[in-house]
Formats: sequence, structure tokens, C-alpha cells
Amino acid sequence: MNLKEVYPDCDKLLPRLIAEQKKNGFISEQAMKKISDETKIPISRIYAATTFYANLFVRKQGNYLIEICNSPSCYLNNSLDVIKELEKLLKIKSGETTKDNKFSLHIGSCIGCCDKAPAMMINKKVYGNLTKEKIKEIIQKCKS
Amino acid sequence: MKINIDGKDFEVDPKKRLLQILKEKGFEIPSLCYQEGISIQSRCRLCIVEIEGKLKASCEILPKEGMKIITNSDKVQTARRVNAELLFAEQSKFCSTEHKEHDLCKIISELGVRDRKFDTKKKYKVDLGAAVVRDDNKCVNCGRCVATCAEIQATYAIDFAFRGNKEHVTPYFEHDLNDVACTKCGQCIAACPVGAISEREHLQEVLQVLKDKKKHVVVQTAPSIRASLGEEFGMPPGSLVTGKMVAALRKCGFDKVFDTDLGADMTIMEESAELLKRIEKGGPFPMITTCCPAWILFMEFFYHDLLKNMSSCKSPHEMLGMLTKTYYAKKAKINPKNIIMVSIMPCTAKKFESTRPELKSGVDYVLTTREAAKLIEHFKIDFKKIADEEFDPTLGVSTGAGAIFGASGGVMEAALRNAYETATGKRVSKLEFDQIRGMDGIKHGSIIIKGKEIKFAVANGLWNARKLLEKAKDYHFIEVMACPGGCIGGGGQPLPVNKDILQKRMNAIYQQDAKMKLRVPLENPVVQQIYKELLGNPLSKKSEELLHTKYTKRSKF
Amino acid sequence: MQILKKTNLKALEKAKKLGSEKIIALVSKKGLTGRAGGGFPTGKKWQMVKETPANEKYVICNADEGEPGTFKDRFILENNPETLIEGIMIACFAVNAKKAYIYLRSEYTSLKPKLQKTINEVLKKAKSKLNMEIFSGAGSYVVGEETAIIASIEGKRGQPNLRPPYPTTQGLFNKPTVINNVETLTNIPQLVLFDDWKDLKLHSLSGCVNKPGVYELPIGIKLKDIIKLAEPKNKVKAIYFGCFGGCLPYEQFKEMEMKQENICKQNCALGSSTMIIVDETKSIVDIATNIAKFYEFESCGRCTPCREGTMRILHFLEEISLGKATKEDFETLQELAWVIKETSFCGLGQSSMNHLLSALQYFKKEFEAKLK
Repeated sequence: MNLKEVYPDCDKLLPRLIAEQKKNGFISEQAMKKISDETKIPISRIYAATTFYANLFVRKQGNYLIEICNSPSCYLNNSLDVIKELEKLLKIKSGETTKDNKFSLHIGSCIGCCDKAPAMMINKKVYGNLTKEKIKEIIQKCKS
Repeated sequence: MKINIDGKDFEVDPKKRLLQILKEKGFEIPSLCYQEGISIQSRCRLCIVEIEGKLKASCEILPKEGMKIITNSDKVQTARRVNAELLFAEQSKFCSTEHKEHDLCKIISELGVRDRKFDTKKKYKVDLGAAVVRDDNKCVNCGRCVATCAEIQATYAIDFAFRGNKEHVTPYFEHDLNDVACTKCGQCIAACPVGAISEREHLQEVLQVLKDKKKHVVVQTAPSIRASLGEEFGMPPGSLVTGKMVAALRKCGFDKVFDTDLGADMTIMEESAELLKRIEKGGPFPMITTCCPAWILFMEFFYHDLLKNMSSCKSPHEMLGMLTKTYYAKKAKINPKNIIMVSIMPCTAKKFESTRPELKSGVDYVLTTREAAKLIEHFKIDFKKIADEEFDPTLGVSTGAGAIFGASGGVMEAALRNAYETATGKRVSKLEFDQIRGMDGIKHGSIIIKGKEIKFAVANGLWNARKLLEKAKDYHFIEVMACPGGCIGGGGQPLPVNKDILQKRMNAIYQQDAKMKLRVPLENPVVQQIYKELLGNPLSKKSEELLHTKYTKRSKF
Repeated sequence: MQILKKTNLKALEKAKKLGSEKIIALVSKKGLTGRAGGGFPTGKKWQMVKETPANEKYVICNADEGEPGTFKDRFILENNPETLIEGIMIACFAVNAKKAYIYLRSEYTSLKPKLQKTINEVLKKAKSKLNMEIFSGAGSYVVGEETAIIASIEGKRGQPNLRPPYPTTQGLFNKPTVINNVETLTNIPQLVLFDDWKDLKLHSLSGCVNKPGVYELPIGIKLKDIIKLAEPKNKVKAIYFGCFGGCLPYEQFKEMEMKQENICKQNCALGSSTMIIVDETKSIVDIATNIAKFYEFESCGRCTPCREGTMRILHFLEEISLGKATKEDFETLQELAWVIKETSFCGLGQSSMNHLLSALQYFKKEFEAKLK
């Protein structure tokens, strides 16, 4: 079956979801219904696609979305220390959001910055060669 | 094309997948995710075989000339066992499937799954719907329900969400089935190989009222179940068990056994009158049948602009429920409040239908064919041996037109027979409308009534219905049944089903029609009496009040 | 580095002069193979798409570089996007595609504005009407698989699909589709234009080293000569070829020539020439657990062994690291790893156990030492 014939806008779905994620920090039920109306794609399919991807969320994320890498290259360069420091500073664990809705923390897969290991992204901006001290500095900057 | 299976050569069809070939050749291959008529899932990985030293899932492999297949080497056995252990780690306690073909316990014991090597880790909520119950804790993520809902029914009520070991089947945003656009057709139940989806049982409630001496408990049986109930008791598909069914139900303690076929006759009286009225008034066309509650929901969810085209007739069992509590109650001098009406239906959506407030339904409980079998088993009745009995005549005389309601095309054929005879005063020259019989997804034809050509079309399966609706304007009259083959393939019918079994059930239904003296509802003496004593004429005020309904727009989400 | 040489649309000009037949023949003759891990001959892939009759055809540039330890595509996207774009244009010309997608992994979102600007400039300069779209991913490793990338663009869950039909005949929107990796496509203009083009490969080196980075090397040089470049911090214990390639003990194999066939003989895979260097200070059990976590997180969920199995593997490895696992558990782990490798649906599931099976082959004692 040619999907383009059934859902002519099927290739617009992922871009729409990413834009919504960027704009509101998550994809709400209401937003999903709107996207379903526009693309004519059944909502169960949209929910299925949304939840498949690690960077799309159906729950509100913090203003600063921290994705820290714990794949082998970073792991071998002591990413666990950095992660522990982050968890200590923010008082949250991976997958959680701070109460003030400022930070969300996600320990994730390789971000392709193995030459700067350990590395993380905050709102897709890369921070490399992390140390405990650097982490403190970065978080302090975000907080102020 | 020749291939070699376990050392023997076989001539095979190169277009068929290996699993299908192996099954046809009599090899027993365990499999959970393969289902005819939907896309290949390749999920469960139980149908593993060895091909030239490599393990392959036979459901996804096309045969090649000279291919050598080993179906039960040690490697194959280990791979199947480990995958079964992984699947059943979460739910080996529950062997609750009604799917005789895929008995879970059988797979577990045959593959040598003895101990639970892996702990249970997942926990899901149970979704208790009005008609369909989903327990994800039993789910093995085979994908058949999702594919059936999308590819056959075009409803998309459920899909997989999340990924990896968090992947599970759910309506969007983890809603309950009741709160989303689910037609309750129950095809997902028929698809589920492990009993994770089932009908909302009302068996206990019915057993309770049967014990209640103050209640007058009446049962009615849908046209299609007499052609399928026998399967639950080991009889071959296509066995017509009308007499045994009536006898067994009477033995269960029902005070009266009525026939939904009579309700179907009534539906036809009203519906053909409605059709003739529309022909006279010039529309709105197409008129769309409303016997199928899943179909009604589908229209209410997705086709708001066509709701005005829907016939206003209630479905046959709702009509009979109403007549039981009015016509029959008066005749038998029983307070309608003390009458309990139980409908035995091939259908899960009927369970939802009877809770619709606008119907003020005369039906108190709906049991599926499977539940009816359990009820009969509960009373330890030897179904195969019981002597035939007849329906109670007050509401138990019916015509061949009512009988064929159970097969796709039946409602249309019945309505046309009756409309023709009503309009012209003559029986239609050939009662059998062959162009709308059979298992095709979409069928159509035309007939001349009083010099006007009436074009009609029939669809079964909601994808086919969607396709048909695109050309709705070309027709005067459209019949849709949500389930493949019509009610004979309903979500409440005995499992397993396949095309072959459906065809046999369908044949049984048409044979019954052929054998009957009364073939057109107009000729039914009970129908005539009901109009004489209670309703007056079709579409009369009283009819409108008791036998007709209206539809509401529902959100498509 | 050869990969950084610019071709300034001269290769496209030359390609148009040669015509699509000859261009495909040239790519085949020079022996360019896919650089994402599969190693399929690029010219052959193009030929198949060209030969399939269809009213529409597509080119997808796979920039969904998800393999841990791999960052060579990012290196190209940062340093030579012009030549990549020219490569995509030549691919479109060769197979007669009117639309191209660059599937950019979400982790590389920060590169998107510059890439978009470069696309606009290059297309304008070439006066090309080609429709080239950057399609952002949303975070999934499996989407790197070619049928999954198609599913993802089509707005579906990024799960791999059954092959055949192959994308070359029924790909995106059921139309014939070329899917090539960033490095492969960047090589195209260079091999078209430069007579002295050599079949060099980018190597991503990282881990316990002082000089992690992308190194351009000829195929088939010795392992020790590669590792030396990155300046290991300590004595090297093992080399991991990404997560999916498995691992080899360094001392035993340091003289080995890095060719796909040599590595395959050891039940490993060279893949996209990723090497994660592990030194003596690190525990193989810990790394195995770390990689198992990666696969547990990234499994798409389609088939039983990968969906359920990767979760169980992780559980067992955690138990082993904590000293809680029994000998029986260890045996179950090995059986399970074998079944996942043998019966998973897609290549990613099948290779998800390479790291563990090779670690068990060469470093079994480290595991056994931790059993109860």
C-alpha cells in the first residue's frame, strides 16, 4: 500500500511533532488531536510514533532538557561521575523533571561526541570534556 | 517449485510463506503472531526453522527452489523454547485463551518451558470496557490486534506505544477503550492468540437472574449463532444446531426461548417500508442499514455527514427486546419489569448497544456465542445428544429472510425481497440474490422496483465499508456489517475462525433459508399479528416509538 | 585528508556530461562500497534503482549516525557539507530522483542551520531545481536501519520492516529509493573528479586515549598502527568496534590487518570503522553491562528476542557485576545471547549480542570471577 495515497501528509508528521516538542516542551493530547486533524493520520498512530522516539515526550519537560551520554566512549571517560554530580545538583534522577520545571535529565545513547567525552547536550547544544567542576559551572549559569 | 522439508521433497506454491506451507503439509510449527489476511508481523519468533544451517522465522521466508528446511533440530528447539520462555515470563500463570488453535498451555508444554527463568517485571492496568476487556499483562506483543484493527477494520483504536520492553498495545494516551473511537466489533478478540483481549463477560449476572424465581427470564438467539454454536461442542463448522440450541437453553432454565430471526423479520418490515418511502420522496440516498452496532458506532465516529442516511430502525434483537416487554408481556400477562431479556449474540458490540440510553433497551444482558456455550457447559448439558426442540411460538416464528441476516448481504437480500413484494404485491421472480452472496468484501447489484432501478451495495469488514462509502452516491441502498463475512464472523463467535470456517457457516445459513416455507417477512403470521394487535402499520407512530431510534455525533478521537 | 577536498560542483558538471549510465559505471569501477557498515557496492545499488521503472524515485542521505563511538559523519557535516550535497545531487542525477532527504539524527540538530544554509547556497549556485530536505530524527538508534529510516520519514514508528521488497525497488512511499551514508555520498564527487582518488576510510577512535578523533586511513592497515595514532593512556586491553561490532583482545590481534573479512572470521564486524579503545584499568563486565543498557534502551520492540531478551541480558549482567549471579544464571545468559543473535528480526537485534559473545569468547574469566 502506498502510504502517500492514504495519508498524503505522512512525511509531515515527524517534523510537526518535533516542532511541537520544541515549542511547548512536550506533545499534549490537545496538540496531538490538532496534528491528527491536519494530517488525517489516526491519533493512535501519532501516539504510537511519538512515544517511539526518545526525544519526543508526552509529559511536560523542563526548560533545560539535559541529555547526557552514557555510551561506552563517555562511560570509559568517567561519565558516571558527571551523571552523579548532575543528579546531586538537580536532585532528580534520569527521566525526571525538577519541581520548578526548569530541568529535565535524561541519560541516553551516544550523541556522537565521543572525541569530547564525556559529553552532554542541553537543548541540543553540546558540552564536551565534562568534569564535575564544569558541570557545576554550567548548571549555575542555567539557574541564574 | 520443489523444496525439501525434514528430508522429504514437496511441491510447493512459491508465492506462499514457508509457515503457511509447513502448516498445510501437516508440520506442527508453533506460532503466535501469524494471521491470514493481515500483514506479516514477524514478532513472536516461535516459528523458527533451520535453513541451510541458519535459523529463520518461517512466517517471513519465501521458498526457493531446492531449499532445505529442518523443522525440529536441537538448535530450533532451543531457540523456540527460549523465545517462549521470554514471552511467558510475564504471564505463565494465565493460560486463558479461548483460541483452540493456539493453546498457550500447549505451546508452553510442547516447547519444554518448565521453570520461570525470568522474573515478572512488567505491570499494566486492566482495561475493563463495556464490551471489550484488555489485560496487557497477558499480552505477548504479537501485533495481531493492532493489525486487525487497522488493516481490516480501518478503526485504528489501538496501536503499539513506546518501544523496546516498554512497548505495549494501547489506545492513544493510555485511554480506556470505552473513551476512544473503538467500534467494539471484537475482531481484536478473535485475533488475540493468548486471551489478552476478551469480551466483557455477563455470564455470572445471567446465572444469578436464572436463580431468581421472581423473574421471568427470556432468551433470544441471533440468526448466525445456530450455525456456529456447535463448534464450541466439537461439532464440525457449518453444523446447523437450531433445535439443540433451543433445547439446551430451555434446559438452562430460561422460561421462554425466542428467535431473533423474528426481530429480523420486523426490522425488514420497517426498513423496507422506509426504503419505499425514500424512493417515493426521492431520498436521502443511499439508505444505510443499521443492524450492526459496530457499524453504527463507526458512522457516529467518522462519518457525521452520512448519519442522516442511516435507517432509523433499531437492530433486530433490540426490536425483539422491545416487543417482548410490550407485546409479549401483555399477551402473557406479566409485568414487564419482571421480565429479563437475555440476547445471545455473535457480537461484542451488542453489549455496548444495549447500554445506549436512547434505546431504552428491552435487552438486559447480552451474551456472546462463547459465553452461551459456557452457560450450557455450566449446566452440564450434553449438547451433542440433546433432542431438538422448537422456539416458543409467541415470538419464535420466522422466515428465511430473517434467517439470512447472519451472513453479509443477508439484510439487503431480505429487505429487497420484502420491499419488492410490498410494492408490487408479487414475490420477486428469483428470491436468491446471488450477486450479494458470498465472502467478497464488497458486492453490488441492482433491481427494478415499479420501473425504478434501485442500485444496492454490500460491504463486510470496515476497511471495505470505507472504500464503499467513497462511492456512496452511486447507490440507493447500502448494507454494511463490520465483521468479515457478516455476523458469522462476529467478535463473539467460536474461535478460531478462518475463511474456510466462515464459508461453511455461511452455507449453513443459506441452506436454512432454502429449506423454509416462509421466505418473505410479509408472509409471517406472527409479524402480521404484531402489526394487527400492537403497531398498526410499518412506520406508524407506535412503530416509531418502539422500533426506531436516532444517532449522535461522537468525537473521532 | 582526502574527504575534506572540495569539488565545487565540478564533479556534478562532469557527471552530467558523462550521463547517468557512465557515472554509475564509474562508481562501480572505482569500487566504492557503503560506509555505514553493510559494505554494499554503491554503484550496484544505484543501478538497481535506476533500472526499476517508477514515476518517482528518492535519495535518502543517512545521517542518522547512531553507533556508539562513531562520529565521522558529524565530522563531514561540520567540515565538508558542500561536497556531501554535491554527492547527493550526483546520486539524484544518476538514478533520476527529484527529491532527496538528509535524515539528520536529532543529536546533530545543532548542525542543522548551517547545513540548511549550505544546501541553499549550493543548489542556487548549481541552478538546480532539486528538492533537498533535511529531515530531523527524534532519537532512535534503530532508525539507522534502512527500512526503519523509511518508516520514520513516513511518520510511522521507526521499526525495521521485512525485506524483500528492498528499498531499491520499493522504498520510501513504495518508490525505488537510494539510501546512502554521509561518508559514501561525500566520496562520490571526489572519485568522479579526482583521478588520484583512493579508497580511504574514516576511522572514529575514542575511549581510553589521549587523542580521540577521526582518522582517514587506507583499508587493511594493521590494528596496532591505527591504535597508536590515538595515543592510548595505558596498556590497551581490548578494542570494541562500536557496540554492534563486538570486541577483540588487543595483544592477540594487534598485528591483524583491518579488513572486513579478517574481522568477520573472529565473529566480529568492522562496521563503520569505529574503534573504542579499552585499557587494562577497565572491567569488561562493566562495559558489557553498559552496552547491554544501550541495547535495552534502543530495542525497537518488534521481535521477542530483542524486546524481552535485551532486558533480561541487562538484568543478568547487573547481577554478575554485583556478584549476585550463579553459575546457572551465567549459563542462561549465554544461551539467551545466542538465541537473540540467531532469531532477532533485524540486523541490529542480531548484532546486539556481538559484544557479549565476543567478550565471553575472549574474556570469559572476568565474568566467571564475579559469579557466586
